[in-house]
Amino acid sequence: MTAPAALSARARGRDAAAVHRGPTFPRVVASEWTKVLSLRSTAWIAIVTVVVSWVVTYLSANASSGDPGFDPSASLPDGLALSQIGTLVLGVLVGTGEFRTGAFRTTFTAVPRRLSVLAARTVVVAVVGALVAALALVAAVLGVLPAARSRDIPLDLTADWTPQMLLGSALMLLGMAVLGLAIGSLLRRTVPAMTLALALVFVVPVALSLASELVAGPPTGPAPVETDVVELDPVSTAVALLPGDAAFRMTTDPEAGGVDGAPDLGPVGGGLVFGAWILLPLVAAGVRLRTRDVT
Amino acid sequence: MRPARAVSLPRVLASEWTKVTSVGSTVWTALGVVLTAAGVAVGLGMFVRVGDGTSGVSLVVSGVVVAQLAALVLGVLVGTADYATGSSTTTYTAVPRRLPVLAAQTLLTAAVAVVTAVVALGAAVLVTVAQRDATGLALLETDGSSRALVGFVAYLTAVALLGLAAGALLRSPAAALVGGVVLLVVLDQVLAANPGRVADTARALLPGVGARLVRDDAQLASVEAASLGPHLGAWGAGLVLAAWVLGLLVVAAVRLRTDDVLTGVRR
Repeated sequence: MTAPAALSARARGRDAAAVHRGPTFPRVVASEWTKVLSLRSTAWIAIVTVVVSWVVTYLSANASSGDPGFDPSASLPDGLALSQIGTLVLGVLVGTGEFRTGAFRTTFTAVPRRLSVLAARTVVVAVVGALVAALALVAAVLGVLPAARSRDIPLDLTADWTPQMLLGSALMLLGMAVLGLAIGSLLRRTVPAMTLALALVFVVPVALSLASELVAGPPTGPAPVETDVVELDPVSTAVALLPGDAAFRMTTDPEAGGVDGAPDLGPVGGGLVFGAWILLPLVAAGVRLRTRDVT
Repeated sequence: MRPARAVSLPRVLASEWTKVTSVGSTVWTALGVVLTAAGVAVGLGMFVRVGDGTSGVSLVVSGVVVAQLAALVLGVLVGTADYATGSSTTTYTAVPRRLPVLAAQTLLTAAVAVVTAVVALGAAVLVTVAQRDATGLALLETDGSSRALVGFVAYLTAVALLGLAAGALLRSPAAALVGGVVLLVVLDQVLAANPGRVADTARALLPGVGARLVRDDAQLASVEAASLGPHLGAWGAGLVLAAWVLGLLVVAAVRLRTDDVLTGVRR
């Protein structure tokens, strides 16, 4: 061997340094960040989510601006019901993407301590979800402004519960992204994960509220007078404890009260229930990742 | 040498039949339709008491809202399977006229969905027998009951075809699934939060309005009384859904005819 000793020593030193540094958490986060941000689907979903937030809020504020007692800040969460689907889908696609394309083999060869990949992905999805949420809320404010201006009602974002409702709305959009990621990471296949996520957040609540109507009979005539003792009914309680309704409670004012016939969780309680819904599949995904083969 | 037989619709049907029945997802989604339809009915039946003002038929068909998701997935997977696996190249080399494939998929999805929905309905009727006896709710006691039972099968079949059309059009299962759920469920919820003449009219023109087929006369009257939009009646609502299915199938056929079949294939 006549290779320059100095060079090989330097090369050995570089290799040793690289091995020594290893896949540290910041570096795993950086790699996940690149993977999520370089996908076209991420950009498209973000754009559609923000545009949908503007359109729905604009239309709904315009529609209700004719009502007496129109409050522009109350129209702010109107677009959320639709834009939350954007961040949910984003999370599911990030969670299942590598298992669909086969890139997970490279990822878990590079990072054999698999859990840090899931943790890094959670961080990245939460950050992207927070960015999308911030843009969607700005879009919602812009959507309410024309209706507020036409009625000469100033839009005060610092009054009453509005700051808390805005924060709750952002947390809801962000949380939906992480919930999608958790379900996607757990099931690893796009169609089952997407079906479960959409069922849990959108379809089951509709089914249950139709069912409660069925059991209680269709609403006839004026609603009964509110009494202090409201009888709890099991179906409404179940609806209030599902992730969709629990998360939505974060976006409403604390005095609004919850679903009729269900215990009122309040914004903080709603957030905690929603958090539990996120943690459950996330922990299950971590356990599956740690103990089972990645295929 | 034996002369090659031409590509004909029956032969395309046979090849699509093999594809549809040889993948696990068809069996799983069909099972999903049956289990959700029966499971929701029996679960809800536990809460029904005498004098609730409900009817036997509305209990039996109560699972339709969840079951429609499984029916949608069934259609979406038939519509996108070729693109997801890359076998569209083979399929359309064998059938260069392309449209017979979509026609065959439509016929097969409709057939599978009708059989699945009938089985699901039968299961829901059977599992609630004891509960309906205990509460005195006869199956066909209210007006419009038989229409609701037929509507259950018709609605689930139409939703499966909507999924097929969305899948064939978008060529991606995730996109078709999200699009289908938005059209059937989410937009309706968003519009319901802002009731008014415009919102109610828009709701009456969404495909999900077809679920009115699955209601008996009393429920239909209460739904329509609560809406400021057009009163379509059950069959009118069914026609709106049918128009959506047909419209999306036509757009999917146009894309199939004019666009490269490799567009949207995962490679």
